[in-house]
Amino acid sequence: MAYRLGVDVGGTFTDLFLVNDEDGTQHRVKTPTTPADPSQGVLVGVAKICETAGISPAALGNVMHGTTVATNAVLEGKGARVGLITTQGFKQILHLARSQTPGPLAGWIIMIKPDPPALLSDTVEAVERMGPRGETVVPVDEQQVEGIIKQLVDSGVESLTIGLINSYISNKHEQQIGAIVERLYPGFPVTLSSDVVPEFREYERTLTACMNSFVRPKVEEYVKNLDAELKQGGATCDVNILRSDAGLMTTREAGRNPIYGVLSGPSGGVAGALAVATRAGYPNILTFDMGGTSTDVALCQNGEPTIGRDTSIGQFRLKVPSINVHTVGAGGGSIAHVPQLTRALRVGPQSAGAEPGPAAYGKGGTEPTVTDANVVVGHLPPRLLGGEMALDVAAAETAVGTIGDAIGLETDAAAEGILAIVNENMAGALRLVSVQRGYDPRDFALVAFGGAGPLHANAVAELMGSFPVIVPPSPGLLCAIGDLVAEFRNEFAQTIVTPMDQVKAEDVGSVLDELGTRTREWMTSEGIAEGDQRITYLADMRYVLQGYEIAVPVSIDDVKAGKLDQLGDLFDQMHEQLYGFFMEDAPTEIVNLRCIGNGAVPSMQFPTAKSSTGDGAGAIVEEHEIVFEGRKVPTRIYDRSKLTPGDTFDGPAIVTEFDSTTVVLPGYTAAMDEYFNILINPQA
Amino acid sequence: MATTSDELRIAEIPTDVEIDPVTLDIIEGALKSARYEMDATLFRSAMSPVIREQHDEFPMITDPRGRMVVGQFGAYINEMMEAWDQGIYEGDVILTSDPFKCSASISHTNDWLILVPIFHDGALVGWSSQFGHMMDAGGRLPGSLPTNAKTIYDEGLIIPPVKVIERGEVQQPVLNLIFNNMRMPAMNRADMFALIAGCRAGEKRVQELCDRFGQETYLAACQALLDRTHAAMRTLINLAIPEVPHSFEDYVDDDGLGHGPFKMKLTIWREGDHAFFDWTGTDPQAMGPVNFYLSEGMFKMFIGIYLIMVNDPQILFNDGFYPLLHIILPEGCLLRPRFPSALGCRTHALARLFDVLGGALTKQAPELNTAAGYGTSPYMLYSGWGEKGDFFYAMEILYGGIPGRPIGDGMDGHSWWPLFENIPTEYLEAYYPLRIDGYTTVTDSGGPGLHRGGNGVEKRYVYLEPGEVSIHDDRWLTRPWGVLGGLPGARSEKILKRVDGSEERLPSKCDEIVVEPGDMLIYRTAGGGGWKDRLDRPVEAVVRDVSFGLVSAAYAKEGYGVVINADGTADEAATAAERERQRTERGDALFFDFGPPLEEILASCKAETGLEPPVPATPLKWSALEDGAEAQQRVRAKDDLPGDTVTAP
Repeated sequence: MAYRLGVDVGGTFTDLFLVNDEDGTQHRVKTPTTPADPSQGVLVGVAKICETAGISPAALGNVMHGTTVATNAVLEGKGARVGLITTQGFKQILHLARSQTPGPLAGWIIMIKPDPPALLSDTVEAVERMGPRGETVVPVDEQQVEGIIKQLVDSGVESLTIGLINSYISNKHEQQIGAIVERLYPGFPVTLSSDVVPEFREYERTLTACMNSFVRPKVEEYVKNLDAELKQGGATCDVNILRSDAGLMTTREAGRNPIYGVLSGPSGGVAGALAVATRAGYPNILTFDMGGTSTDVALCQNGEPTIGRDTSIGQFRLKVPSINVHTVGAGGGSIAHVPQLTRALRVGPQSAGAEPGPAAYGKGGTEPTVTDANVVVGHLPPRLLGGEMALDVAAAETAVGTIGDAIGLETDAAAEGILAIVNENMAGALRLVSVQRGYDPRDFALVAFGGAGPLHANAVAELMGSFPVIVPPSPGLLCAIGDLVAEFRNEFAQTIVTPMDQVKAEDVGSVLDELGTRTREWMTSEGIAEGDQRITYLADMRYVLQGYEIAVPVSIDDVKAGKLDQLGDLFDQMHEQLYGFFMEDAPTEIVNLRCIGNGAVPSMQFPTAKSSTGDGAGAIVEEHEIVFEGRKVPTRIYDRSKLTPGDTFDGPAIVTEFDSTTVVLPGYTAAMDEYFNILINPQA
Repeated sequence: MATTSDELRIAEIPTDVEIDPVTLDIIEGALKSARYEMDATLFRSAMSPVIREQHDEFPMITDPRGRMVVGQFGAYINEMMEAWDQGIYEGDVILTSDPFKCSASISHTNDWLILVPIFHDGALVGWSSQFGHMMDAGGRLPGSLPTNAKTIYDEGLIIPPVKVIERGEVQQPVLNLIFNNMRMPAMNRADMFALIAGCRAGEKRVQELCDRFGQETYLAACQALLDRTHAAMRTLINLAIPEVPHSFEDYVDDDGLGHGPFKMKLTIWREGDHAFFDWTGTDPQAMGPVNFYLSEGMFKMFIGIYLIMVNDPQILFNDGFYPLLHIILPEGCLLRPRFPSALGCRTHALARLFDVLGGALTKQAPELNTAAGYGTSPYMLYSGWGEKGDFFYAMEILYGGIPGRPIGDGMDGHSWWPLFENIPTEYLEAYYPLRIDGYTTVTDSGGPGLHRGGNGVEKRYVYLEPGEVSIHDDRWLTRPWGVLGGLPGARSEKILKRVDGSEERLPSKCDEIVVEPGDMLIYRTAGGGGWKDRLDRPVEAVVRDVSFGLVSAAYAKEGYGVVINADGTADEAATAAERERQRTERGDALFFDFGPPLEEILASCKAETGLEPPVPATPLKWSALEDGAEAQQRVRAKDDLPGDTVTAP
């Protein structure tokens, strides 16, 4: 049972990555995604990769899986019909939302507001009221509540949410109503807001819980089918699902709290990039995942991703932990245009998508895209995917030429302009996750992946000063690698909202103990051996009356020893790092205490080879020209599969492989390291 | 700029530097993200919920001449600096809260404005600035916005432009003097430093741009960006502003002292590429604090945003088009009050200004054509001493009905102001002796239309400690109008239900209302007006509104001619007949529907609202109203556009 399989279902392709933990051998497979029922594509891929490796599915010890089933349900608004039971007086909680309309001034004129996961006609008010100190103001009127539950279920809702005011401080009423549902309709899917997010701010908590109910039947069915069909094919292993914070959860947990996996996709990429870069000796990285329509970026320090507790998806802000991934609407398919009024050159956010796609793909697209600009300047050689797909250079030139005409530039210069602007947009996203949070991007390496990441990484790294650029082998498969290296993870929290000058170490200690016990119980119930369990604690802190918290690491030993002072100091330090100042005399408070449980998985072996001191000449397949700062520059094209560790060569150069193309600009040197990564650095 | 600092070197804007279009677009993008970074930095670290949760703050970056290259409001640096005599050095930070000393770029003393000079290679290359609404600015009442203020001296500490940091050194005595006057000094201090942190972020980005592209290229790019906006706006002005003058008028209901309503009248016309916006006909300034000291630059920015929104939303808003717009504001009118008039509660006139601007632009620019919304920024303030003798002070901004719009219905209970957010009930209850009995919208308060106006908000506050309450609201007398066959939205109202069971109507502007534990305030804001013919609204949309509880079955019939069956479905035959009947009875739909005429509203005021109607204001001895024709000629002379006086039709 030495085999581990990572499976990532993306928009276009399903990627699979198989590792033999005993000898480190690896296999990779790419199959088309089957959007109607993604499990079909997964099963095809599993069969294919088992065949390639010459093993039977029974040999699979573990399947780790990143899935976008929940993401798509939210984005497409296609989920279960959700009934919401809320506190009397708050029926319109989701309808009112946070009352926000977009900027700038007059932004409301063009705002489009999506329906919330539970419609007003499926929302009912329970007679009950909990106070802000956990005191019952109005007890639950059981008879009234029975009536509204029956009314909802009989009207045909498929999933119920109970979201009551102040349930973050006491979940008594929510549990009481949950028990009534269970008594009346045993087994009916119910989500309690205090289970999913036991934190304050009623709108975000209720919305997150409703979204959980909204995606739950779909995800439950998906994981059940996948599990059943894998077993039918002879597999005996467990399937684990990747969470948005790059932890793993079992299918059982995924069926219960699927909302924790709502950004499973991007988190797999970050986890994979981190694994590759840490192994190569770079624990501080910026990840740069550029696809067809958008680019995801994230910052990781000391081998850890930054985890946030606010997750935006579409127009919804959900309160679940996720890797702080920032997305910009800039990708290979982004369309360049020149508005009549200002005659400025804009790139995106509109995208040509897969259909019709860039002009160069010859599928009927005529609008100039970033990919077309790459073709014009020669960063994309005329043949892609190992010669399988030819690019229509003339069509790309015609498309980009329209931009040149509109702003008065030659076609080559217009193409360079499009690339400069899209690179700048992506650097803006990288600045947001680094500089704006107090990090110096020059202290970070840039890990490039996704279809277009390696094409742009050198130019973007130049803007950021982030070197080396690391292009891992098979950059298109990095998400599946991320699935493989992820650990089991869950977190439990308790809101306490207490100023530091009133908080007692023994109270903090007992809350942490209780959270720790719950976390251990959870891990044990998920089958994680005691020796593999790792527990850490956090306190969400802020200055009294601030509205955002900073998660400060807590040492349980210090708390047990009665020491809390260092928490305040650490908070001040982190506040200064993030915002550039701290307040000596302002009182601080603890808002939430958190316990995070990690369950270790066996670490993955990466193939290595001894370094030599080659120049990669044997890998040169073609001579070619690229446009660089207005001039045509002769450039060598290398076949990545023929490069060996230690090979070093200067830019300009282009490295092609099955699913990606890497550009090395003039003035830079590329080298292959012992893990087969390409590292790009400025020439000494 | 008057300055004693010999060494101040203001960077010249080069005229001979060629800038390629791509570099220009890159600098444009970088400036735009710098502006959002200023916001993000402030939100993350501010303490006042008004800034942090409700986003009542505004950033700006200017060129060395003080012209705004990116931001939300016009530049004010030059006028401020004309009176400045203390020198400007690297590392300086200037603070002010005096609207009369910064050409009204801030419009009441609650707004604290921070100004940071940006230096690069020893030369001044621009300014970074940001202002935000402080929870309290000292003075007689918590919140510093007494509804019965008669001069600005009733409205807390008035801070003239002063250095709070000089060459990097915090000026502690100045800060001590300021914070000594505040009820919650720690909060003011935190918010002030958060504003400074935001400005620093803008400063840093500008310096980086100078490093990266060279100072000259950066400055040439600023000029080119100003020119680009100028050219774009010239086109839009020609499209959207008619040559023949036309007018629109609307009212602020009262001034908190029983006077009103106050008329605001705007006449617009175009002469070549130049557009005139003339406020002649607007009533004289009020004795109470509802005056809105309108900054010309800010008003130009409003106009620009309205016009440009639908054309290239990615454009950088800047000062470039200002020379094309000419704003006539007679001295002593509601929008150009004289010193030392009270200004605290200016949001009513500020909001009405958009109603009037929208109404005036509507006929020529149908894509901007919307109804009127809840039309103000409704506040609820509550303060007192808690159980343990600790002072508490809660302030909340409420929202209301968004106007019916070309794209769809107005949102129910949403913010007209960009990016503002409501305060979570759990936050209010955790920090203040308050229980929220309900937070919902007012059924039937949205004006019927093909696209319905949004419903107003109903929030029910139960007070748990003895204390005092203030209310700031408007649209309790006049209605948010509907357009093109849409009806007006419902008016606002406030009911105080005493714990002993008695009830009283509270005026829309009042202070020092004493409350006891268990008293409940029912606060209802106005709805939005409807857009286009209410009798054409799809029957399914009305049925859905009824099933959602947003419209009652009775109002479905009265407002939309839709007859709802007992099971919630529509009776199609009865609906067709009812719609036919109402169409015949109504005749042609009105272009603007304001509800009953003003005389009728005033006559029925007491009966309908339970409140006495406001009475006309007596002119203030110390602030005579400037003649409109003189004001226009004054502006023509200043802007160098001579011509005969144009009058409203």
